[in-house]
Amino acid sequence: MDFEPTIVSFLCNWCSYTGADLAGTSRMKYSPNIRIIRVMCSGRIDPTFVLEAFKNGADGVLLCGCHPGDCHYQSGNYKCLRRYNMLKKYFVQLGIRPERIRLDWISASEGKQFANLADSFTETIRHLGPCKIKNVIETYT
Amino acid sequence: MEEIKIGVYVCWCGTNIAKMVDVDQVVDQIKFLPDVAVARNYKYMCSDPGQDMIIRDIKQHHLNRVVVAACSPRIHELTFRKALAKAGLNPMMFQMANIREQVAWVHTDREKATKKAVSLVHAAINRVKWHESLDKRTIEVNPATLVIGGGVAGMSAALEIANAGKQVYLVEKSKKLGGYAAQLDLTFPHFYSARQLIKPMIRHVEDHKNIRIFKPMQINQIFGYMGNFQSTLQLANGDETKLKFGNIIVATGLQPFDPSEITSYNYGKLPDVVTSLEFEKMLAKGRIETCEGKEPKNVAIIHCVGSRNANYHEYCSRTCCMTALKFANQIRSALPESNIFDLYADMRSFGKGCEELYTQTSRKNVIFLRFDQQNGLPEIRSTNGEEAVSMLIEFTEQFSKEQVEVPADLVILMVAMESHADAKDISHIAGISMCGNSFFIEKHPKLDPVATTSDGVFIVGTCQAPKDIPDSISQAKAAAARVLATIHVGTIEVDVITATVNEDICCGCQTCVSVCPYKAISFNKEKGVSEVNEILCKGCGTCGSTCPTGAIRSRHFTDQQILSQIQGLLSPDNKFEKM
Repeated sequence: MDFEPTIVSFLCNWCSYTGADLAGTSRMKYSPNIRIIRVMCSGRIDPTFVLEAFKNGADGVLLCGCHPGDCHYQSGNYKCLRRYNMLKKYFVQLGIRPERIRLDWISASEGKQFANLADSFTETIRHLGPCKIKNVIETYT
Repeated sequence: MEEIKIGVYVCWCGTNIAKMVDVDQVVDQIKFLPDVAVARNYKYMCSDPGQDMIIRDIKQHHLNRVVVAACSPRIHELTFRKALAKAGLNPMMFQMANIREQVAWVHTDREKATKKAVSLVHAAINRVKWHESLDKRTIEVNPATLVIGGGVAGMSAALEIANAGKQVYLVEKSKKLGGYAAQLDLTFPHFYSARQLIKPMIRHVEDHKNIRIFKPMQINQIFGYMGNFQSTLQLANGDETKLKFGNIIVATGLQPFDPSEITSYNYGKLPDVVTSLEFEKMLAKGRIETCEGKEPKNVAIIHCVGSRNANYHEYCSRTCCMTALKFANQIRSALPESNIFDLYADMRSFGKGCEELYTQTSRKNVIFLRFDQQNGLPEIRSTNGEEAVSMLIEFTEQFSKEQVEVPADLVILMVAMESHADAKDISHIAGISMCGNSFFIEKHPKLDPVATTSDGVFIVGTCQAPKDIPDSISQAKAAAARVLATIHVGTIEVDVITATVNEDICCGCQTCVSVCPYKAISFNKEKGVSEVNEILCKGCGTCGSTCPTGAIRSRHFTDQQILSQIQGLLSPDNKFEKM
């Protein structure tokens, strides 16, 4: 059977979640592998949330916030960007491919862009194959 | 601790959800999860019978948590929270799973969509277990209103509020009130003089005891939240004045499209190619003439300049067709012997009295010619004095499909409306969003076209979308009514989803102080811990994700709530069983 990746996505309430809703109201189609969790701001995305997702079997994590300069809370997306860069370095040490996490900016009007992003990220993760970190944790703890 | 009892309701939304998600299967999959006391599916959960079902179950089964899997929480979260409150439950003991906008409407495989829906509902069930009762905070609404922009829309809103006896601060960027409409000559479809409409309005605003005007003045920052905003203005004499207000009406208006982008029109190169706004000024001066001061024999009007074309703006600017007909009438009266050519793509004459204006104009010996707005924009070229006319306009006429050359001594380009160049800055200052083409986004495109997602901030006039004067005024007065309603009630209730510090485990590192964009967190030196000012905190939660000890809780978005949501989302129990 083909590998169907499981992807957890954290979306900010004001831009990205609204953009994902717009993809729905516009009836755009994208792959069902993305499961969305809403936070008020991408600045709320604690690195432990991302790690928890991988620990529980996610194959990829997608973070989305407002475009630079457009954050509803002024600068939360910049803080998200910093944590994202830190996480990618940390992932290398953990043995998780850094491509398994992606940060992108989706505005409230970018339903199409969200649908495209969901599809392209799903393909990236499909290509990488299943993330084995959950098995590793279960074996060694 | 009391036993957790969760009611789970899966909505069909008619066929919207039920067509792509097997709602029976979703209920079957989650009804045995721990703490789920009731699980049902129903045709329309948001309907009165749907809500009554929840209320009845809460009372009958002593539910203390509710999950509804339906549309986006941005649409009906409030509806269901109110139902909980009606049943005597704290409204925050509720969680929604978005299985319409983010499942049923975007997927095509029913099995996969159903499995995803099960995951989302499982996540919501996990999360709601950790929800806690939160009280609303009642805040008083400052009765003053800030209006940004002194055009027709801004002035109408200001007058409406001021006439109700409430204070208005009207901030205008330029030296004069009146905005774009004050630059027009006559208005369509009745040919009222714009100046005669606008001038009394300006005088009313300037003389009104409840309106304080600041011009020329720019707003640089606004602090606070609905009911209690404040801003500091830098006056020309170097002084500062601090304003406090409860609501904001944004009326920053439009700017005309610059047609020099469209090379085939040669605007800026051919001196007798003018924009609609330049022609208005010519009419206001009282003489239609070429750059050499001669009466034009042939006048051409070109529609949709910068509108309805993917290279410029995809939207229709709504007012240009009727303005073009108004021009044709004015030219016909001023120059009875002239030839008038109206080059249009589609004639859009919606609105009261507009189709009548079209009929009336078509009897005035105006030659209407249709061009292809997507692939065949007309080309204007100079005859270099070799012919009797100064310019020729070449295009394929769409009814005859013939290549035609239209003579012209004067060409009027009906330029598109764009949102104002300052719109981006204003969106940051007022905390509102813009849609793809730089107009501000309304709270709901159909049901709430005046409000924005930021409570207490309203958008009126052409900053929301292209529109004519009556539409701008209607919208302005609607916003004024909304503002007056909040002032009349005097208080509003807001959710307390602010951050809070557990002083026992705060280590005093002050990282939270450094990341807070609202300076809402300060360090208490005596206690050695951080403190949150709940009035300033807007609940973004970035302090919560930076705190190394976990001392900061972002209410309603706590670590525990989100982590358990992730676990539910990825639970190996989420599956689809073929029946």
